[in-house]
Amino acid sequence: MDLNKKNLSCDLLIAGGGIGGLVAAVEAKENNPDLDVIIVEKQVTGYGGKANKGGGVLQYFQLDKITPMDFLKFHVNEIGGYLGDQELMLKYVEMNHELLDKMDKWGIVMPRNEEGNYFMMPTGPFTCMISVDLDLCIKMRRQAEKLGVRILDKVTVTDFAVKDGVIRGAFAYSILEEDNTFYTISASQVVIATGSQNYRVGAMWSSGRGDGIAAAYRAGAEMRNPEFGNFSQLIRTGSHGEVVFGENFMYNAKNEHVTKNFTDHRMTDISSLAIREWYVNMINGTGPIHLDYGPDKRDVRAVNQDWQRPYGQRFRECRQEFTNKFDNDLEVVPLLIGEQSCIKVDHDMQTTIKGLYAIGDASYCGSCAPGAVPAPPARNRGSGILNAVFAGVLCGRAAAAAKTTAPAAITEEETDACIETTYAPLKREEGCKAKEVIELIQQAMCPSEYSVYMKLDRMEEAEKLVKQARELSANLKADDLHDLLACHEAEAMVLSAEMHYLASKERKESRGWFLREDYPEMDNENWLKYIIIKNVDGKMTLSTEDVPYEKWPIQPPKKA
Amino acid sequence: MIYTNHKIEFDPEKCVGCQLCYKACFVDVIRWDSEAKKPIFKYVEDCEHCFYCQSVCKKDAIKVIPDPSSERLHQHFERYA
Repeated sequence: MDLNKKNLSCDLLIAGGGIGGLVAAVEAKENNPDLDVIIVEKQVTGYGGKANKGGGVLQYFQLDKITPMDFLKFHVNEIGGYLGDQELMLKYVEMNHELLDKMDKWGIVMPRNEEGNYFMMPTGPFTCMISVDLDLCIKMRRQAEKLGVRILDKVTVTDFAVKDGVIRGAFAYSILEEDNTFYTISASQVVIATGSQNYRVGAMWSSGRGDGIAAAYRAGAEMRNPEFGNFSQLIRTGSHGEVVFGENFMYNAKNEHVTKNFTDHRMTDISSLAIREWYVNMINGTGPIHLDYGPDKRDVRAVNQDWQRPYGQRFRECRQEFTNKFDNDLEVVPLLIGEQSCIKVDHDMQTTIKGLYAIGDASYCGSCAPGAVPAPPARNRGSGILNAVFAGVLCGRAAAAAKTTAPAAITEEETDACIETTYAPLKREEGCKAKEVIELIQQAMCPSEYSVYMKLDRMEEAEKLVKQARELSANLKADDLHDLLACHEAEAMVLSAEMHYLASKERKESRGWFLREDYPEMDNENWLKYIIIKNVDGKMTLSTEDVPYEKWPIQPPKKA
Repeated sequence: MIYTNHKIEFDPEKCVGCQLCYKACFVDVIRWDSEAKKPIFKYVEDCEHCFYCQSVCKKDAIKVIPDPSSERLHQHFERYA
């Protein structure tokens, strides 16, 4: 099978054709139509990613009833544990209606009632959610194509070309045997929109495999807040269907309401505390945990049936038809999702490498906007899609306005070296399979007492598995290009798990969704800090950055 | 998930070759046979049972049959009391 080599060049290269990447492309083109933009997507742009697989909800702020500051206070005090970048979060809330207007203009369907207002469902003291039809990314692809954005599907970005801290482009390869092309793409600006790290566990989140995070790390970009990638979702043990708004209704084997204290309105959505309750009951012999919604057996927040979403409805019916086969499917178990999103970015979504941006789930925690919680929703239903739109808009504007010069050329030697590394697993006669590595990483990351309700000795136990995975990953063997992609994703998972435990052991406190059994209190004396991880000459190094809370409106209590 | 036992039923008689299922698969389970103009369900054990391929098929040619019992949740049930 001969490898084709192809050189491309553009002004703005976007890795990832989900909602964030598409918004960045469209926003950049609208602000600067002369910009030559390419999207590279490892599956199919407009269909891949996460935004179109979930509930199809958007966070909505009734800005005639609350001020952005109201929400900020709530978020900083009750969710993010004083680590959130208040300036960025405030901007996100202030831009809420502008972002929705943009989506409307781009053709995305958000159902409205007869009066022309969005159907709204309250989700917290300061938030509502509205609905969006799940063909949103297809609509965005059409917009992008109309504006002249070039799209390469079934091509995955493997590494970035960086020199003296400045981006020059990226390397990518086709995952289709009939194409079998290796691309060297020269670009003065590059965007990472490849999602978070979810260790290939939960179905809806399975597109986020951390490959962009790993490529950024290898290129020398700094990572920030990698320890907050510990989102866990309750699922039903029969169908493995996700539980939405169920955390208030958890009962143990003695029929005790174990999340009774969660009934505060502010605690009504997913939280690590519910996962802790699950673990504590299981280890104390009062498991399993089941849901009981009360005498009328009605989920208090069943999705509004008035939402007219023809595309999403069909999707939902197919899933429902399957889950309906499971009677009395009320026992629940946590499933680790992860959502590590640690690429450090500034307010333009630019990483520490000049011209390299990271948006959406790739950089949510790295941006510091949320504080000590994982990538959206992080107790903010509907913030996942909107955060990606927000970050895509900021990045698209910055990229359109940037004064760039032609990037330094990528040499043939550099291309050949990347080809050698990229295809090494295909050339190996013997070696281990990607799934052996992934299995070890899942064993290291998924147990709730390892990655959600943490303790030093348990984390060290998990790290032994990560170490085994690291050793195996040096000798990966791929059978074909699909398998080669799995090898690269497995390598990215090893890296993410290493960063997670290195940072989690260092943070000796509990804050937000970050829970340690051995350090149960929030420590504002010592831990108003971000953990930074960087690749220094091949060694993973850790440092800390002080949280600049003095310049923000909401101050942490002096003592926790 | 990995090492799963999910299944996908496909009726080639109903298929009109629109390619939507191929496009919809976000984990590369489905490849495209350009000569036969039909999907190839090549990597079914990597299926994430998102049901996207089934839901975009206007001819009802696809049925995803997940087997949740084949999915490992990696909780330490054996250690719990």
